[in-house]
Amino acid sequence: MQPEPAIAPARRAVSDEETLAALRAGDERAFRDLFAHSYPMMKRVARAYVSSDAVAEEVVQETWMAVVTGIDRFEGRSALGTWIFSILTNQAKTHSAREKRAVPFSSVAPSDVEGPVVDPVRFQNNDDAWPGHWATPPRPWQKPERRMLSLEARDRLKAALAQLPDRQRMIVGLRDIEGYSAEEVCGLLGLSPENQRVLLHRGRARLRAVLEEYLDAADV
Amino acid sequence: MHDSDPPHDGRSASEFDLPVDEVTCQQFVELVTEYFEGALEPRTLSQVEEHLAMCDWCGTYLEQMQATIASLRELGEERSPEPPDSVLAILRARKAGGA
Repeated sequence: MQPEPAIAPARRAVSDEETLAALRAGDERAFRDLFAHSYPMMKRVARAYVSSDAVAEEVVQETWMAVVTGIDRFEGRSALGTWIFSILTNQAKTHSAREKRAVPFSSVAPSDVEGPVVDPVRFQNNDDAWPGHWATPPRPWQKPERRMLSLEARDRLKAALAQLPDRQRMIVGLRDIEGYSAEEVCGLLGLSPENQRVLLHRGRARLRAVLEEYLDAADV
Repeated sequence: MHDSDPPHDGRSASEFDLPVDEVTCQQFVELVTEYFEGALEPRTLSQVEEHLAMCDWCGTYLEQMQATIASLRELGEERSPEPPDSVLAILRARKAGGA
């Protein structure tokens, strides 16, 4: 039995044949399962192309409409997940063209990679005793009891996530929220491991900084 | 950093040129993701590990990064919405019309 390619994180193994048969038979339960597993990833990817969550949701819905109406025409030349994913990206690109946004994924924009991820003022400079070492070091966060964050910290994190540059938000979402592996994300999006890592690095660093700001303030 | 850049000779894809013997804190924070991903060159990896053995503050930074990732994982517990009725209607029609 082959693992479901690309369309959902590799935590369950359902063959293309099974899924295809289920969709063609109108198996609602199987469809709901597939829809639910894929939704977070599909929305994250769509959202990186378009201007709002609402439009991203529309793109996902249109994609599934195209999938269920076109399922008889799928010939199995590619994996099912690949086919669904290409419908998704085509729909997203159509919307983004209408919105006049151009989002190339295989390259990384300068704004995605420029500058250090921690403010240089936090480190000692060449006039200090230990250049490059912390001047204002991070303070340990309180050990969490059960859940990592209070509701308020969680809201801060979500807000910070929403404000990340599109590609960083998408990569952090796919890797750290949805649990896709580096290989899966690179395969889905046509990114090199290095580019994927850079986006992940910058996104995570920004979010850590937001949490640090919040938790340091909460300590006072 | 672009896809067309040639690979550095034995160095990690970091913005900094590493001095011969040590990783500084300022360099460590730029290497932390490659460290988590297992993408560091062996020499850089051992320098990073040596630094972590000596620097509590960077150890704290590392823990904070892990905590940030763990917090993000918690955000993933939210449920996805209902599939749209229009799509379900197509499926139901298939089922009704099926053999």
